[in-house]
Amino acid sequence: MQEIKYFLTKSVLFSALLAFTLAEAVAAKTSVHKNEISGLLTWTAADDGFQIELIQLLPDFIRAIYAKHNFPAEEVERAASYCVFGTILKNTSEQHMSYRVADWRYRAKDENGKYGAPLPVKTKTQWLEEWRKVGITFSWTLLPDVGEFSVGDWQQGFTTIKLPRETEFDLIYKWQLDGEMHSGTLQNLRCAPESLVESN
Amino acid sequence: MMIFKKIILPILLTFSFSVNADWQQPELSHNLTVVKKTIPASDFELQDMDEEVKKLTDYRGKVVLLNFWATWCPPCIREMPSMERLHQKVGADDFKVIAINQMEEVDDVFAFTGQLEIDPTFEILFDTTSKVSRDYAVRGLPTTYLIDKQGNIRYRAVGGREFDHEEVIKIVKQLIAE
Repeated sequence: MQEIKYFLTKSVLFSALLAFTLAEAVAAKTSVHKNEISGLLTWTAADDGFQIELIQLLPDFIRAIYAKHNFPAEEVERAASYCVFGTILKNTSEQHMSYRVADWRYRAKDENGKYGAPLPVKTKTQWLEEWRKVGITFSWTLLPDVGEFSVGDWQQGFTTIKLPRETEFDLIYKWQLDGEMHSGTLQNLRCAPESLVESN
Repeated sequence: MMIFKKIILPILLTFSFSVNADWQQPELSHNLTVVKKTIPASDFELQDMDEEVKKLTDYRGKVVLLNFWATWCPPCIREMPSMERLHQKVGADDFKVIAINQMEEVDDVFAFTGQLEIDPTFEILFDTTSKVSRDYAVRGLPTTYLIDKQGNIRYRAVGGREFDHEEVIKIVKQLIAE
């Protein structure tokens, strides 16, 4: 089991907020890990034959990836403007497992801490359609829309959420085991900061 | 702009990968999924590092491990040394490992392979338009197929694997013995 580490804080208020955050996460069978070097957070939840891991990614990482693949500058910036997570999905069951990103939703809190309506997660297909219009043919890095996993299979890719930096939100995800639908929620996820300097 | 792409960008990418090191966490398993239907592996013509054109049918009569990968894909990087060890353990007489890179330049891949813990001696080919990956219905990287001597896809793995695990070696040897 992954070790749970608490976010370093500078104020009592932030500590209290974070303690609340982690308490909720544990209740949802989620572990939170903080990278000692980068300060970036990873959330992992495992339940009913399905493991999901979301890893904060810095906007510069996204810029570097897409600039390297010759994306136009405005498309690099557009992708980096999203709240992007490295996402790892694993079939931990002895059955066939599948998922569809189109079934997933996120809900963010407003300035008063209240949740808004659940919104659909942007899919790889939607990104590719937009990129195709500006002549981009590169089709990798994003989490595939659909996964069909046999025993031992896993997959990873970027999940993109249209939220500002450091916004807190929940991700409601679904998967199927031998045709039976399951659902889980990763609570109190947080979009990465613009840079490590700003977060320290 | 050229200075940015050739000098600054690689530094930025290296830094970014290091601060995003958690991206590489899951342990690699060795499960291969049996493909129950008889599916002939699509032939292809792709260039290697030396710009020589290679075809899958060049290796008919050998068992082929066909791997789709890219240098920016952490599990691809992690499983690659195990592919080389598998290649070394089984030998090249009846077995071929082919790693098909997705949409990257030869110079970048050459530089990348020089940084691996084991220098790959297996075939690296370049699918510059990802056409071959589409022919093989590859949704994400890495994805690997094990093809028998008759050119049929027999096993599949989605996600990184430890390919030199004894169970995988046993399967490869069984296919060779058929």
